[in-house]
Amino acid sequence: MIEFKLPDIGEGTAEGEIVKWLVSAGDAVKEHQAIVEVMTDKATVEVPAPADGTITELLVGEGDIVPVGDVIFRLDNGGGAPAQESAPEAAAAPAAPAAPAAPAAPAAPAAPAAPAAVAPQPASSGGKVLAVPSARRVARELSVDLSTVAGSGRNGVIRRADVEAAATGGAAAPSSHPVVAPTTAQAQRIPFRGVRRKIAEAMVRSSQTAVHFTIVEEVDVTDLVRVRQKAKAIGAEQGIKVTFMPFIMKAVANGLMKFPMLNGHLDEQAEEIVLPGTVNLGIATDTPNGLIVPVISQVESKGLLQLAAELGDLSERTRAGRVRPEELRGSTFSITNAGNIGGTIATPIINFPDIAILGVHRIVKRPGVVDTPEGEVIEVRQYMNFSCSVDHRLADGADAARFVAYLRQILEEPALLSL
Amino acid sequence: MGEAPDLSDEQFVELLRNMIMIRSLDGRMLKLQRAGRVGFVGTATGLEASLVGAAAPLLPKDWMWSGLREGGAAITRGLPLFEYVAQMYCNSNDSAKGRQMCNHFQHKGSNYPSWSSVIGTQITHGVGAAYASALRGEDVVHSIHFGDGATSSNGFHSGLNLAGVWKAPCVFVCIDNGWAISVSSAQQTAAESYADKAQAYGMPGVTVDGNDVLAVYAEMQTAVERARAGGGPSLVVLKTYRMLGHSSSDDPSKYRDDAEVQSWAERDPLKRYEAFLIERGLIDSSECAAQEKAIVAEIDEVIHEQEAAPPFPLRSLVEDVYSEVPRHLRVQFNQFLEVAERRGDATRGDGAFPL
Repeated sequence: MIEFKLPDIGEGTAEGEIVKWLVSAGDAVKEHQAIVEVMTDKATVEVPAPADGTITELLVGEGDIVPVGDVIFRLDNGGGAPAQESAPEAAAAPAAPAAPAAPAAPAAPAAPAAPAAVAPQPASSGGKVLAVPSARRVARELSVDLSTVAGSGRNGVIRRADVEAAATGGAAAPSSHPVVAPTTAQAQRIPFRGVRRKIAEAMVRSSQTAVHFTIVEEVDVTDLVRVRQKAKAIGAEQGIKVTFMPFIMKAVANGLMKFPMLNGHLDEQAEEIVLPGTVNLGIATDTPNGLIVPVISQVESKGLLQLAAELGDLSERTRAGRVRPEELRGSTFSITNAGNIGGTIATPIINFPDIAILGVHRIVKRPGVVDTPEGEVIEVRQYMNFSCSVDHRLADGADAARFVAYLRQILEEPALLSL
Repeated sequence: MGEAPDLSDEQFVELLRNMIMIRSLDGRMLKLQRAGRVGFVGTATGLEASLVGAAAPLLPKDWMWSGLREGGAAITRGLPLFEYVAQMYCNSNDSAKGRQMCNHFQHKGSNYPSWSSVIGTQITHGVGAAYASALRGEDVVHSIHFGDGATSSNGFHSGLNLAGVWKAPCVFVCIDNGWAISVSSAQQTAAESYADKAQAYGMPGVTVDGNDVLAVYAEMQTAVERARAGGGPSLVVLKTYRMLGHSSSDDPSKYRDDAEVQSWAERDPLKRYEAFLIERGLIDSSECAAQEKAIVAEIDEVIHEQEAAPPFPLRSLVEDVYSEVPRHLRVQFNQFLEVAERRGDATRGDGAFPL
């Protein structure tokens, strides 16, 4: 017995329409005798018998659309054992003519916990819809938008039956995929593209290239809070919003001039560590489009109010998407303040190819031990943590420790900022 | 028919037998493909005179550089029928070891190199080989076959140009069957004839009725003798018509008229040559049918024998590149074998490599 499977008669055809049976069950046939006319996307052809024998059963009806690989007739060639030519999985049910069984879904190696992963997906990826040509033609005829059709073919390819089902508003073609009803808490599959993808690529490159280590320092900013209060009032007179960031930037610039081995980048092609002698600070900024790092240059030569003004302008334009490409390049060191929302320490990822990055945390009030002329007393103090990540290929722990200790020194006594 | 060349009666009849062989093989291979028994077929139906007539004047020591449809010509030069069918099945009797797509023949014994689906590459390969033959002082002619579409390829220009410069001992055989898949000759070139292109390369170009096996034979013989005598290459354009699709995946009715096909059916090369032989008294009117019956029976026998032949052992996947299979390939193969065994695809002889 031969179970005859619809062959791929045209290099990559997915399905064929049974146009006409040329024999009936019970007919004796000769090898190479035409048995059935099949129309594929490429051509209409006569499919011949693979051997001499008797047709015992025609399994699909005229007009049916059958996936390649489905058994379409049985031929008794006197060979005894069943399923002589059929592949192991081919014992397809004697299909009810109207229901061309979808080819067995390839066992998804994907996460078993995510039912949404096997839900019918519109077969679009990057705007490209995968559909067999006849499905495209029918979609045009029936005015069906293919991007809205779930494909039940191999790899989610849209078959003609899928389009017809979509046009009649019915459920998508016979499919082994459960249809998930939308709920408010539905799992999502979000295209991994655009800014998110760019960020991911940058992060992977940084974390896989730089050897990160992080050092955390606690800074008593009680005095800085007071100074900033006064500076804020002075800035307001000139319409400049003064946050803590200009002070931190100034302290970082001073620190980097003192410890230049943390300021710059590695030129891998030239095999040189580039230490530019000027401080261009990348300021990680949270925007509706994701994390963007605009750069303020020559920070070491600018005053606090100027830095405050530039920072205000730059962050506003960055959030509005109006930052110029050249303002996103050339950082020698970066500061990220995402930690001001929560968390006490962090391990920031270096803005590659910079040597180091400083994470700035929120200010908290805590009891602190303070030296006074009357001796040590406990006071309400304000503290801020700094998490500094450094590429250990280019600098060592001692460099980083000295750098953050220096930051602490000048930020605890803001008058030293003018050094 | 053209003027009859100086051939023996047996040779005349042999040309007919070869043409019937090609047509019968095409018919059978297409049946196998439609039943899913082989993967792909490119037929030569309608081109039989062009294949047989072009191959016949070549000597056994000459070389033939082919395109998709020349497999039948290789049979006339010594490719055994069983190897032809084995190649279609890519089984363990396939001399290409299953590493070529079906219908991509090769035969060392008759100097018929394996060909590439990339259009026109055989032209430069053939010219290089012809040049090498000349440098070695070998008395060998290289016959380089390609279709009308290949005249637009880089290989055509490079090949014909250098062959002209080097006076390489070769013959360029352009089988102009009117259609490069769905591109007609009118879309292919503004030249009056493909043969006109020869002028630019400083060689003779001639257009021949490709459905007249004797005319093809005569022109080819002239070109081959010229090449053998050191006169350099020529371009022989055989004007013919592909009666079926470009390949088993093609439906030609989508791009050409039935009337055009019908007009060529009336010029069928087999019928024309049969009429010639009958008129000359070499065969009677039953000869063709009798020969066809015998040939088809022979082909069917070979098909059944080759269909039963096992595939190449899986381990042949990693052989023949390194003299000793290196460790990384052995590791990969052993992992692959586990999968194949799980799927029941492994057979005797597939055993894992010792690591």
